[in-house]
Amino acid sequence: MEIISNNLEKDKKDMRKVWEKIGDYFRANSIWMMWYCTGCGAIEMPPTMTSRFDMEQLGMGPMATPRQADVLLITGYLSAKTLRRVIYSYEQMQDPKYVIGFGSCTINGGIYYDSYATMKQLDHYLPVDLYIAGCMPRPEAVMNGFDTLISMIKKGEAKGWKHYQENYDWYHENQLHSLGEVYVKDEFHE
Amino acid sequence: MLKMNSMNSIYENLNSKFNILSVDYPDDMQMAIDLEEKDIHTVLAYLKSDGYTQLSILTCVDWLKEGVLQLVYVIFNWDSGIHILVRTKLDRDKPLFRTVMEIYPGAEFYERDVHEFFGVEFEGNERSYKHLFLELWDAEPPMRKDFDTQAYSDKKYAPREYKSKFISEKGGEK
Repeated sequence: MEIISNNLEKDKKDMRKVWEKIGDYFRANSIWMMWYCTGCGAIEMPPTMTSRFDMEQLGMGPMATPRQADVLLITGYLSAKTLRRVIYSYEQMQDPKYVIGFGSCTINGGIYYDSYATMKQLDHYLPVDLYIAGCMPRPEAVMNGFDTLISMIKKGEAKGWKHYQENYDWYHENQLHSLGEVYVKDEFHE
Repeated sequence: MLKMNSMNSIYENLNSKFNILSVDYPDDMQMAIDLEEKDIHTVLAYLKSDGYTQLSILTCVDWLKEGVLQLVYVIFNWDSGIHILVRTKLDRDKPLFRTVMEIYPGAEFYERDVHEFFGVEFEGNERSYKHLFLELWDAEPPMRKDFDTQAYSDKKYAPREYKSKFISEKGGEK
C-alpha cells in the first residue's frame, strides 16, 4: 500500500459551498483556542492574551474544554505519554477543527531530537494546519500566526481535519507505532 | 565552625554505631556516607528517629565502568537543616533491594521512579511494577548509560526528512 503523503496541498480551486464559506467567515472571526501546554511553551501565552498584545482583538480567546474549542494549540515537545492525551483532546473536538504547532519541537523535535520519550514531528500523528517557528516564539510571532490561521480559515485552506478523516488509517498507524496503544490506562483511571 | 563541628559530631556518632565505608561533605550542611547493602535500613531507621524525618529524594547513579548501580537516599532534618546522603552500591546485572516504605512511606513513588528508569527491583513495593512515567515501555531502562537513546528514538519516532541542497564548486544547486 502506498504511503499517503500528509502534505496539505492547497487546492487551486475552492471546493466550498456558499454556506460553508459563510460559516468559515464567521468562524474565522470568533475562534476559541484550546491551549495544551505540553512542554516549555506555556509562558508565551499569558503576555499574548493579556492587554499589551491582546489576542482577543483578533477575535480569539481561550476555551476550557476541547468540546467547545476550534483550535488546538500544541505549545512544545510531546512526550509519548502526553501525545496520548493530546490525541484524546483532538478527538473530543468538533469539526471543523485546527491544530497549531508551536515552536521548534513540534516541527522536528528541537533539542529533544534524541530523546527516548519525545516525538519528533507532530504532523505525523495529527494534521497540523500551521506552525509558528521559534524556540520559543515571541508574542508578535504568535499573533502573526493567529492572523495567518484566520486568513487560512476564511480562504478555506485550513483543512487538516478533513485530511485526518480521509487518511485516518495512516495517522492511526503512526500513532500505534510510536505509542503502542492510544488508549490511556494509568492507575489514576482505574 | 559550628556547622563543621555539628557534622563531625554526627559522623563520629554514626561511625561509633555502624560500619561506615566512607564519608564525604559535598556542601555545607550536607554529608554523604557509604554503607553496605545490609546496613541501609538500620541506619535510615536510626537517623529518622534522630530527627531526619524527611526523605527528600531517592535516586540512582549508574556507574557503568564499575558495574554497579548506586542508590542514594537524601534525608533531611528540619531542625538542623542538614541533609545526609545515604548511599549503597548494588550489582548492576541483578539489582535487588528491600523497600524502605516501612521507614519512609513516601519512598514508594521514588522507588517506582528508580525501578522504571534504572531497573532496580524493590522487594516489598507491590506497585513498583506499574508504569509511572513510561507508559507501555518496551525496552531497557532508559537511564542506564549503555542505553542508546538515539537508536530508540529513530526507531520509535519518525524523524523529519530534510532535502539536502548542495552548492557545487561551479555555483548553483546540484
